Amino acid sequence: MAEKDLINKIKELKNIKPKEDWVFLTKNRIFSEEQQFSLSPFESFKQLFNLKPAFVISSLINVGLVGLTFVFSVQSSLPGDLLYSVKKIGEDAQLSLSSETEKPGAYLELANKRLEDLDKIAKINKIENLVPTIREFQNSISKAVEDLNRIEDDSYIIMEIVSQTKKLEESKQRIEALGIVIGETKELDNALAQLIERELEGLENQILTEEQEESLVQVKEDYQAGLYYQALEGILFLGQ
Amino acid sequence: MKFFYSKKEEFEKIYDGYVGKIYRFIFVKVSSQEIAEDLTSEVFLRGWKSFQEKKEIENPSAFLYQIARNLIVDHYREKGKTRLVSVEFLEIVDPDDLEKKALLSSDLKEIQAGISKLNDNYQNVIIWHYLDELSIKEISGILDKSEGTIRVMLHRALKSLKKELNTN
Repeated sequence: MAEKDLINKIKELKNIKPKEDWVFLTKNRIFSEEQQFSLSPFESFKQLFNLKPAFVISSLINVGLVGLTFVFSVQSSLPGDLLYSVKKIGEDAQLSLSSETEKPGAYLELANKRLEDLDKIAKINKIENLVPTIREFQNSISKAVEDLNRIEDDSYIIMEIVSQTKKLEESKQRIEALGIVIGETKELDNALAQLIERELEGLENQILTEEQEESLVQVKEDYQAGLYYQALEGILFLGQ
Repeated sequence: MKFFYSKKEEFEKIYDGYVGKIYRFIFVKVSSQEIAEDLTSEVFLRGWKSFQEKKEIENPSAFLYQIARNLIVDHYREKGKTRLVSVEFLEIVDPDDLEKKALLSSDLKEIQAGISKLNDNYQNVIIWHYLDELSIKEISGILDKSEGTIRVMLHRALKSLKKELNTN
């Protein structure tokens, strides 16, 4: 390669730039960590009223706009983005409000949100967010599995799990059709299988109508075929 | 009464002017966005602390690059990492846009990976002269070497980079 061409190629690295939201947040963090004022509190208070009302109003409007922009940026952030950590705090806070039995459904809902994020990533070509998003997806699945083994027989909870699992399956197929490999969800399948087995054990001791007996046969067939959310749907139907 | 407002504004201007350059400087060396972000924010955090203690900083560029270089050395010393390009991205087959983007950026990645394998001084002169557009004189001020030495260093750096790229 000629030296001139090499230099031109090197200069293309000027395109390496930090993300704008990271630049903004880092600046704020640096100056908030070291706030030194040698003004007395009285002087600081007096300074505030020396400002013209128009300046104060426009400052408040600007603060409001920045606040709204910040909220929007947080909501639309993806795993791997700096603001995602703020979004995650919000999601974790919501999770903490769920009861133990509600947690599997809540984690599956989070896993579905990560699949929606993968959809967005594919559309806007943000390759750098792929791996963190897939990691978050797998993390949510693992957490859901841990709690699935602990849930009691509750048709509302199972309904939520069925709904989220069905959505997960459909989204997973769509994402994989784009060429994005998100890995196996075998541990989730195993946990669902165990849940179905527990439910089937309970049903064995019950007196069922002829129609219900037929449905139970279908549930068992779906279970054997690995169609777990269909099997769970059947179990819900039997419970009605 | 002594105010620090003007100091803050002054350092804000330094931040705005150099954050991109410092980030790029670090990124080309460490090949990781996450590490580059961490180290860059640490550069400016330390820079701000020093700035408040001193009356003024004559050469902000040299000042910040020195902090950055020290942090990079510390980073490699602590982590025990060798300079490898971190290949974190999955291969995408479809859609077309992603594939095109992968082809474009792989070209740049090759150059960046090549630079990251050079010795520290060679990396520095290449980044400062061709990316940050610092003059030979300015670079000699940062490295505290003669301008002649910097010219020779730059020539040798390009030669090493060419050899590195041809090897791959």
